[in-house]
Amino acid sequence: MKGTAESLQHDTTIVNMGPQHPSTHGVLNLTLTLRGELIEAARPKVGFLHRAIEKIAESTQYVGFIPYTDRVDYLSAMFGNQGYCMAVEKLLGIEVPRRAEYMRVVACELNRIINHLIACGTFAMDLGAFTPFLHGMREREMVNDMMEKICGARLNYNYMRFGGVSRDWVPGLDKEILAFLDRFETFLPEFNRLITGNEIFVKRLVHVVPISAAQAIKYGLGGPNLRASGVDFDLRRDYPYSVYPEFKFKVITGVGYRGETGDTFSRYMVRLDEMVESAKIVRQAVEGIPEGEYLAKVARNPVVPAGEVYTHVESTRGEMGFYLISDGTDKPFRCKIRTSSFCAMAAIPEVIPGFMVADLTAFFGSLDVVAPEVDR
Amino acid sequence: MREYLNNIKNSAVSIFEGLAVTLSWCLRKPYTVQYPDRVPKPVQEMLPPGFRGLLEVDTTICTACMACMKRCPLGVICIETDRDPETKKNFLTRFEIDFAMCMVCGLCTEVCPTGAIRHSTDFEASTWHANNLLHCYVKPGERIPAYRVVKDQEPQGLPQNAPYFAIKKEWDAPALVSPDAARGTVRWKPNKEEVA
Amino acid sequence: MKNWFDSLIANFQLDPWVMTLALGFWLLIVAALVLVFMASFAGITSWLERRIAGRMQSRIGPNRVGLVGFWQWLADGLKSFLKEDVIPDAADRTLFKMAPYLVFPGGFAAFAALPWGYGIIASNIDIGIFYVTSITTLVVLGILMAGWSSNNKWSLIGGVRSASQMISYEIPAGLSVLTVVAVSGTLNMQNIVALQGGWPWQWYFFNNPFTFISFFIFFASILAEGNRTPFDLPEAESELVAGYLVEYSGMRFLFFLFTEWANVWTMSALLTTLFLGGWQIPGIADLGAVIAAAPFAVKILWVAASIAVFFIKTSVFVFIVIWVRWTLPRLRVDQLMLMCWKYFVPIGFVCLLGSALCVVLPQTGLWQWFWLGMRLLLTGLGFAIAIGLIWRAFYNLRAMKDKVYIKIWA
Repeated sequence: MKGTAESLQHDTTIVNMGPQHPSTHGVLNLTLTLRGELIEAARPKVGFLHRAIEKIAESTQYVGFIPYTDRVDYLSAMFGNQGYCMAVEKLLGIEVPRRAEYMRVVACELNRIINHLIACGTFAMDLGAFTPFLHGMREREMVNDMMEKICGARLNYNYMRFGGVSRDWVPGLDKEILAFLDRFETFLPEFNRLITGNEIFVKRLVHVVPISAAQAIKYGLGGPNLRASGVDFDLRRDYPYSVYPEFKFKVITGVGYRGETGDTFSRYMVRLDEMVESAKIVRQAVEGIPEGEYLAKVARNPVVPAGEVYTHVESTRGEMGFYLISDGTDKPFRCKIRTSSFCAMAAIPEVIPGFMVADLTAFFGSLDVVAPEVDR
Repeated sequence: MREYLNNIKNSAVSIFEGLAVTLSWCLRKPYTVQYPDRVPKPVQEMLPPGFRGLLEVDTTICTACMACMKRCPLGVICIETDRDPETKKNFLTRFEIDFAMCMVCGLCTEVCPTGAIRHSTDFEASTWHANNLLHCYVKPGERIPAYRVVKDQEPQGLPQNAPYFAIKKEWDAPALVSPDAARGTVRWKPNKEEVA
Repeated sequence: MKNWFDSLIANFQLDPWVMTLALGFWLLIVAALVLVFMASFAGITSWLERRIAGRMQSRIGPNRVGLVGFWQWLADGLKSFLKEDVIPDAADRTLFKMAPYLVFPGGFAAFAALPWGYGIIASNIDIGIFYVTSITTLVVLGILMAGWSSNNKWSLIGGVRSASQMISYEIPAGLSVLTVVAVSGTLNMQNIVALQGGWPWQWYFFNNPFTFISFFIFFASILAEGNRTPFDLPEAESELVAGYLVEYSGMRFLFFLFTEWANVWTMSALLTTLFLGGWQIPGIADLGAVIAAAPFAVKILWVAASIAVFFIKTSVFVFIVIWVRWTLPRLRVDQLMLMCWKYFVPIGFVCLLGSALCVVLPQTGLWQWFWLGMRLLLTGLGFAIAIGLIWRAFYNLRAMKDKVYIKIWA
């Protein structure tokens, strides 16, 4: 290499874990200062996937913005839909029929299951086990087919409208969902046998980048990241919204499975167990769904009264919040979306120094950061 | 020392279990659907009803209300109408959908009063030239009378298997592929075992 | 091969320099033959890997190019030949170009000493196994060169990691080889095979408990030598984007990959030779005597049978290497080193000493029955593990209520 004589004098190298990298789950950039294999500092750079969604909201009608909320976090698109619809419904002052709420919960929790399948799958893939990812995608395909029946699309759902959902369920869908849940119950133990119990996998992840509860709260982490650090907090239980109070489910908090609380393995295990809990919620919702309307009567192009509102949902990555300011016209004045991946990216420089590059890959996968959520 | 032996035992057991799982998948049917030709029936027929495929417009029942144009968040639809001063009838002079931008969100299909604009089961949108993605439903110079909704009567559109009638607007780019190829150029053959 | 040449030439009375020329010519033919073998095995292993990986991931591998996608590797090779040769501007051109040419012979030269069948070996040197383990070390030099000359920090990290990994794992590999050599007493590949027998309890794998353990150590060590998962950190795709290979493209890239797949074959061949009785056919006590006594046509059949047995045993191990790759995650670099130095090396030493002890113990009289019983027990253990794996696989099938589907050509 040319010009390396003087760089051999220093001990640290600056490397770009750049925008194009198979394991950064999207276009993100981390500038690492390495001393051999140890990381001394990491500086995240964001903005590679900025699409100006919040600015677009200011020039789109309220209903027209719903497809954009899908694309804030395309792996858990239903939560974006729900957060935004809840915000507008609060401003409009309309109530959502119970059947529609149940359908929303089913869609959201199914989305949580498939998102965690991808999260755990790509996490394993980052560590070199290529098979669990494809097994997870196979299960996800079944849910995608169900989503196709629910709303017509497999990834960008555009399912929820103000006052409910866009379509009613086709007959036979509830049986299909229950059949999938039965199969899913047999799938997870096999997945655990394949990868979770694997000694190499466990040894890669325990005691790697533990995030203490105080650090997690300081950086505003949410969801599985926060709960794995031992903080018992879940928006569905502590700030209830929709019909979640009617369901019985456990809030999974990390207890230091084979390692310590807040380390990478803990975050992974919390996601696995959350999938089981979501399956429980879906089963309860499908079996107890009431008859009724699926959409309240709202104007086709609602003119939302002036005001501001903040709603939040427990999305798969944490808290997804929508701060909506309306000025009385049919287009929002400002829609700010608060995503958890952004906070997770911010937490990286503090917790990673002292670990190795290989640990960074594992840690980054366990945070479940998706670039579109970071940059919107 | 105990931890040493424990490590060895755990590794051996977990690797054994993992290997058994992967071996069991070698013995199962792969989940792949070999689209587009080695499937029992064309994929377009395997889609559920209500699938949000590419849009198509039946201009015989279009009322020229422009509700879809106003609803579209991206401004993909472009409709121009012409009102005949004597007969006070509306005519469609321009109806274009730009598939380079359409995200198939389905908002336009929800507001159409007659169902003229609707989703087809087509999802293969790629063309050889980007300008061929602009689908025009009114030939240049043509004037299509707007449909007038009759109370209590279902709008009768074109029959189900009418040919795909979008005319792709050609700018400077020649159409290298004929419009009939919109349904896919690979002819499928039913896989004998899977059909039975 | 040299024997064949000598027997061919013996009838002619030639000047020494003509003999040397003829020998050189003969060597070229043999080398070309081995190269063709290596290239086809490497390619076929790549095809096999993609198909097996596909089935393990509940998808199909390549299936359009050729009936079961068999010509995929030829198509990929042809495509790579036609690709643009991209060399980074700031890279060291000489070293960049030279690195594949060091790695490729490192893998290819090992093929010269593998015993394919009775009397079928390119070069029957007396230090056979020692030659194989040392010539594969040439790869380390090539990898370091590749990592350094790419002028890319990621590939430098990958190259250094790879060098340290391969050099460290030479030691457990060598210890395991010595464990077997302690029993056989010779380094000559054909003799090692000849000293084993056809039946499983006559293989060195089940010879004594220490060779049993050193089989697993050898397996893991040569996986690490060949940079295969779970030891593929140098070329970790998701961490270093192919590590030391990141700046290579086209045919240069394929040289490295070729060597990796040919190495899979070499690994399996070594395992078969050392531990599984090579080309020994079960049931035939002394293949040499049988071949010497048979007429010419039957001789060919016996040799072909021994080649087939070798192929079957090697293919089983190729499958196992591929199977392990697509199941296990990667080890971190310090865990890799830890495993080598704290687990494999001490256990390897213990196995070596134990094996030497077993050799010194008496083998005749009542001890004969003791050794036979011990070997039968170990054979049972080995087959129990294999059958246990298959049984557990069927358990997984039943747990998910799936049906068996073995059509591999679909």
